[in-house]
Amino acid sequence: MGKVLIGLGVLVAICGASCVGSYNKLVRLSQAVDSQWSQVENVYQRRADLVPNLVETVKGAAKFERETFTAVTEARARVGQLSAQATQQITNDPAALQKFQQAQDGLSSALSRLLVVSEKYPDLKATANFRDLQVQLEGTENRIAVERMRFTQAAQEFNTARNSFPTVVMAGLFGKRFAEKAYFTAQAGAATSPHVQF
Amino acid sequence: MRSATRVRLLTAGFALCTLVAGATAQAATAIPDAPARWVTDHAGFLSPAAASELDGRLGTYADRTGHQLLVYIDHTTGGDPIEDWGVRAFQHWKVGRKGIDDGLVLFIFSDDHRLRIEVGYGLEASVPDALASRIINERMVPQIRAGDRDGAVRSGVDALVAAIGAPPGADAGSAAPHIPTWKLVMGAILLLLLIGFALTHPRLAWLMLMSIGSGRGGGGGGGGGFSGGGGSSGGGGASGSW
Repeated sequence: MGKVLIGLGVLVAICGASCVGSYNKLVRLSQAVDSQWSQVENVYQRRADLVPNLVETVKGAAKFERETFTAVTEARARVGQLSAQATQQITNDPAALQKFQQAQDGLSSALSRLLVVSEKYPDLKATANFRDLQVQLEGTENRIAVERMRFTQAAQEFNTARNSFPTVVMAGLFGKRFAEKAYFTAQAGAATSPHVQF
Repeated sequence: MRSATRVRLLTAGFALCTLVAGATAQAATAIPDAPARWVTDHAGFLSPAAASELDGRLGTYADRTGHQLLVYIDHTTGGDPIEDWGVRAFQHWKVGRKGIDDGLVLFIFSDDHRLRIEVGYGLEASVPDALASRIINERMVPQIRAGDRDGAVRSGVDALVAAIGAPPGADAGSAAPHIPTWKLVMGAILLLLLIGFALTHPRLAWLMLMSIGSGRGGGGGGGGGFSGGGGSSGGGGASGSW
């Protein structure tokens, strides 16, 4: 009898310790996902900040491409509305993340159209200002690819830990606090970031 | 008997847990181990003299300013985009100091005819993409095309060092490293102790001196090689091709 009680005590202690351990691990991983998400937001913001300057520069040389400018400005505005959403919500909400991705992809394609249009204007391509903006845009797209990839890695790491036994049992007890993290879905052609040939 | 079964069940349970946890193994990468020197040339791109001269300069620069600037030259990335290869190598080698991320790597792949400047987070303000692109396309590429590879890398490094400069604390003009006062005081005390020791135990002191000397001798030529500081980059910089 005594032996059984001791055995039970040891079992409970082990379970308790493992619970605390997995809880702390999930908290740490969840923090990592959130901080990586803010990096993703930063680089997208960086791109959005480039847009007005880029549009102005192209406008100066290519006055007749009104539709392209409107498309870029509208896509930029849609992205601007998104940024207000809290980090916490978006990493836990696949639908919100998908909306974010759609808006950003919209801006990506509007921007690549803008750059295709500017190909037609050799005077524009020759200006140092435009070349610098091109390089900055290229660099920003590269940063976006890097930070998105790291975000997905962080989210996958969290989800793997969260869904592994026995953590999954413990995570279930906390409901939404340890909900699965959402991540970007690579779509056709999006796996390699929109690479514009200048 | 029963307790033995229980123990076996418990160990089986733990084994299962670790197995499940271990299932998330990292995908293998083609990134080689961190280079040991500041300038690494696996492709024979540079003349040995230029490589060792640049290596010495970047070593001194790192000693003086703390900024880790590397030059890494190889044949090919093996089909990966240079941007992807570069950011993974940077992450793997942990270039730059931890928390400051003040590292930078100039990658050159001779068979791919591609080069890239990958900038750590902490140096993005000093080396913005537009500047990195100018260094590559307006300085280095023309020189490489003209056949002056040593000159291209040298002028690229010159431009990068000029752009980054030295941190506010360091004196860029003087070659002598700055030693804090407490280190000087400690050194003086140690020296006094050593002299005292040498006077009382001359034989032992001599032996110790010999062992220190031989230890130094094995360490390799001055300057010291590169070892990762824990920094990271986020895809900043620029690429080019020739």
